[in-house]
Amino acid sequence: QALPGARSSSGSSILVSPRQKGNPVLASIKSTAWEYSDIPADYVLGTTTCALFLSLKYHRLHPEYIYTRIRLLQQNRYNLRILLTLVDIPNHEEPLRELSKTSLVNNVTVILCWSAQEAARYLELYKSYEHASASAIRGQQKTTYAEQMVEFVTVPRSVNKTDAIALVSTFGSLRNAINVATEANGEERLGNVQGWGEKKVKSWRRAVEGSFRVRK
Amino acid sequence: MSASSAPQPVKLSLPLVYQQKLFEELRKEDELVILARGLGLMRLITNLLHSYDAAGNNLIVVVNAEDRENAWIGEALAEHAAISMSPKARGLTVVNTDFTSVGTREKMYAQGGIFSITSRILVVDLLTNLLNPETITGMLVLHADRIVATSLEAFIFRIYRQKNKVGFLKAFSDNPDPFTVGFSPLATMMRNMFLRKASLWPRFHVQVAQSLEGKKKAEVIELEVPMTDSMREIQTAIMECVEISIHELKKENTGLEMEDWNLDSALTRNFDRMVRRQLEPNWHRVSWKTKQIAGDLTVLRGMLQSLLALDAVSFLQQLDTIHAAHKPAPGTTRQTESPWLFSDAAQTIFETARQRVYSSKQKAGPNSTIESLKPVLEEQPKWAVLADVLEEIDRDLYFEPAVRDDSNGTILVMCADTDTCRQLRDYLQTMHIRPRTAKKVEEVYDPEEDRPSGAFLMRRKLRNYLNWKREFAQVNATLFSENQKALSGAVDPRLPQARGRGGAPANKRRRVRGGGGGVGSNPSRHENGSIVQHFEKPNEVADLMSEIQITEDDAGGQAAEEIITFATADPLEDMDDYYQLYDMQDLVVIHAYEGDQDEHVLEEVKPKYIIMYEPDASFIRRVEVYRSSHNDRNVRVYFLYYGGSVEEQRYLSSVRREKDAFTKLIRERASMSIVMTTDSHGVEDPESAFLRTINTRIAGGGKLAKATAQPPRVVVDVREFRSSLPSLLHGRSMVIVPCMLTVGDYILSPNICVERKSVSDLISSFKDGRLYAQCETMFQHYRNPMLLIEFDQNKSFTLEPFADLSGSLRSVNPENAGANDLQSKIVLLTLAFPKLRIIWSSSPYETAEIFERLKALEEEPDPVAAVRAGLGEGESPEDGVNEGKGAVNGGSTFNMEAQEMLGKVPGVTPKNIRNITAEAENVREVANMEVEELGRLVGREAAGKIVEFFKKDVLEDYSG
Repeated sequence: QALPGARSSSGSSILVSPRQKGNPVLASIKSTAWEYSDIPADYVLGTTTCALFLSLKYHRLHPEYIYTRIRLLQQNRYNLRILLTLVDIPNHEEPLRELSKTSLVNNVTVILCWSAQEAARYLELYKSYEHASASAIRGQQKTTYAEQMVEFVTVPRSVNKTDAIALVSTFGSLRNAINVATEANGEERLGNVQGWGEKKVKSWRRAVEGSFRVRK
Repeated sequence: MSASSAPQPVKLSLPLVYQQKLFEELRKEDELVILARGLGLMRLITNLLHSYDAAGNNLIVVVNAEDRENAWIGEALAEHAAISMSPKARGLTVVNTDFTSVGTREKMYAQGGIFSITSRILVVDLLTNLLNPETITGMLVLHADRIVATSLEAFIFRIYRQKNKVGFLKAFSDNPDPFTVGFSPLATMMRNMFLRKASLWPRFHVQVAQSLEGKKKAEVIELEVPMTDSMREIQTAIMECVEISIHELKKENTGLEMEDWNLDSALTRNFDRMVRRQLEPNWHRVSWKTKQIAGDLTVLRGMLQSLLALDAVSFLQQLDTIHAAHKPAPGTTRQTESPWLFSDAAQTIFETARQRVYSSKQKAGPNSTIESLKPVLEEQPKWAVLADVLEEIDRDLYFEPAVRDDSNGTILVMCADTDTCRQLRDYLQTMHIRPRTAKKVEEVYDPEEDRPSGAFLMRRKLRNYLNWKREFAQVNATLFSENQKALSGAVDPRLPQARGRGGAPANKRRRVRGGGGGVGSNPSRHENGSIVQHFEKPNEVADLMSEIQITEDDAGGQAAEEIITFATADPLEDMDDYYQLYDMQDLVVIHAYEGDQDEHVLEEVKPKYIIMYEPDASFIRRVEVYRSSHNDRNVRVYFLYYGGSVEEQRYLSSVRREKDAFTKLIRERASMSIVMTTDSHGVEDPESAFLRTINTRIAGGGKLAKATAQPPRVVVDVREFRSSLPSLLHGRSMVIVPCMLTVGDYILSPNICVERKSVSDLISSFKDGRLYAQCETMFQHYRNPMLLIEFDQNKSFTLEPFADLSGSLRSVNPENAGANDLQSKIVLLTLAFPKLRIIWSSSPYETAEIFERLKALEEEPDPVAAVRAGLGEGESPEDGVNEGKGAVNGGSTFNMEAQEMLGKVPGVTPKNIRNITAEAENVREVANMEVEELGRLVGREAAGKIVEFFKKDVLEDYSG
């Protein structure tokens, strides 16, 4: 019951070119619907996204194939053109170098996958994220004080989670724990914290005392 | 100080034969010296440096020295210069991040002398020709064992040897172990350093043995101290836990070489690291559990150590902390817990550790409480022995007055770390104070009646512990109740997700045990079988407190203690050394092992008696060297160790390992010498592909460039010099221009800008949103930004293990986008930046090839423009390009650590962090700011968050 206009937006299913018939990737697409359609790309994953599928095994035998396919893609129709590459040969170095160069020249984004399942997952993800916002990768702050505190204290490499909890439980608050580093007997008081050896004390001092910008 | 027949008219301080031999060898030729630990490597180096320093007119670079070594070299050079009165000696100049101005450095280099330069600065200065490699007289390399083919130091030697074939290069190491791992490791290492000759000096070397085993031998008394029953019990239990963990590891990871994974090797120093290294190639493939166990092994080994080092109370306290940290976050399933916590042995550990401190008695006490706690306070067995030894020495001194010699008559006690130092000091100060004796303590020092004991100390510790524990329960509650509140809060975004997962129904979530009250005193277990932290009933604690309450005598004791402490206010006292007056004349010095620094301690203290509280192989050698170096100093060494303990085994195995390593090295050297002699100076040696390219293509270095086209050039962010890629790019005959870049890591052409991410970087920078911000700025300044996903050479080239291939609808639901796997985040990123190109590279070597290909037809990048990119209006590129000369300054850099910490503070965003760092000096200053002050910089809302974060008091803020 597809509406006439739904075709261009491809509705809720992935459009698959009949060329892909027999590709094991299709069998692994489970959580999203797909249908065959006459399209220049191998997969259409949204109004502005399309993908070409390339197996390196095939590429080794027919190196020119992919360039023909890329040329056939309309330049303007798709904003994001993905070259979904299945790494199924052991000596992948040379073809990958070449593809890196190709991606730059021909405006395609190379995505590597190592199995048909992974390839299918990428296709599903592209389709289902068609309208998703990028907020998930814009960074989430840790939400609880404990997590934030541990994150903060463990920045110096030698300090671990146990030390962080020991530190704050000894001095009460972070402000105290920071200020104690500068006091006259600070090193000793910090050293008395469970598990804090000389090295940790030094790196903690350096971290909280160290100037943000190195002076000339 | 005997002046030897050195070729230079300088006075040396190398009294032993083997030292002089080695010195002469080093003066003659370039070589790699591997000296057994404790045989005085630093002394050799300083003497060598002095012989060059005295000659003057040199430019010598010391590479890879640590801060402490720098300090030592500096001091020693000054001392030498004063003794031999050499007018030309100029001492050591240390160049680290503090000296960042290009001009200053250039001037310093021009003057010559001896420099110790941080590798990252040195490589940049060599690349920018600020320090012309041809002007260098020679290089000295410390810690040669840390230099691998891709390290910064190897890069430095390559640049140096390319342009300078006559300067000397001498490498030193006192750690033979790394030279024995891998395939013909010694030869490889020497190739990295362009050296032909290796000189090995194990302890069993004939000359070393002769020098040390003359008639002036030190007298050694070994004292085997038995562990107490409960200590042994705990040790066995910990070992059992280690065994369980290893067993689990083996079960999880079949197909790895695991013959070495047994209890025996678990005791050697770096077993956990060894396991990690083996798992490394597929570290991201291994299950979460395996990673957890690898971490557990580190914890367990730490516990083994602290069982012997810490006193009973501190040990219990440590266990509490460990347990709290390993407690699973509420709402997680049992899978996330360490397997050893489920074992009976873990119960034994916690139980026995507690019983060493206090035990509950069933019988009715005088207060007729049904259950009361009694302090047990087991003392460390070594304490008593230490007291005995001190007494013996005392008697010794009294009955046979010392033969006049050069020693001070001081008693030197050596132990593992400053913590133990402190513990021993406390013990010695208080061992004669009796808690609650009937008589008043009049004579503090009366060994006849007053057997030394740590009771006073232990009682004080227990008091502190109980106080601490009360607070800790609260802290725990504050820290972890938040989670619970968040979980039950309807606004929490995780809740619908948790339900959405369809996993456990909400009521299965475990209850948090935070509060001190109500929890039974018997160690119970969570529903899932892990051990619950033990919190006593409040009334029991009160009992215990009253039991050990400060009595009048204790108070008296405290007063007495103050007097003693006052008496010890010695002008010599400093942070490291604790001096205490013991017999009014004699001094007891307690000191921690500090590697090479121990030599100084021996020389300065000139002890007559040495008590080694913990065994240390290299210190024994140092004593040997010390004894043999001085004709007239008698030393008696007492050597304390716990019989049948991990400590003993570890000591023996370390001695054996070193010996094996040297034997292996000697064998390898014997079979390789022919190969290396054909190699004139290393550079011509066609070792690896990238070295060959240097010779064929960059033969004339930069000079050839003017004749032909411009050589390929890459602008590299100075922070990237931590990775091996710049070195490899240089190896592929590209010109590396180090700059301080705000946007991107590598600029290949005016259009191409590359952000490099290793897989772990990628994950973390997705998590904190850094990558998104970086992509945004790259697109503002470049036409073709690229993201380089670089895999490790030794790790598997695949992202598949990160995928959630369950194939369920839920996992691709955009609602929880990015919550799960790496793939979904990459998808989001490419959707957000359709023009972003991704380079997949299986190793840094590959990356170098790809870079070369990418920039083949492009124009060369402009360093000045690259530095300017991303800097705001009016911000001068102060740290970037040094105008006028075009030289680029690399050393001046942001203090990454402090900035990173600030970035973690809630309320600080990548945008406002600049405002803060412009105004405040360091983290401490920010932490002490109030809302008004900060508000001006970042706005009130953010300021409120920041201040609250720093001020939050976990001891008081607990509510509910």
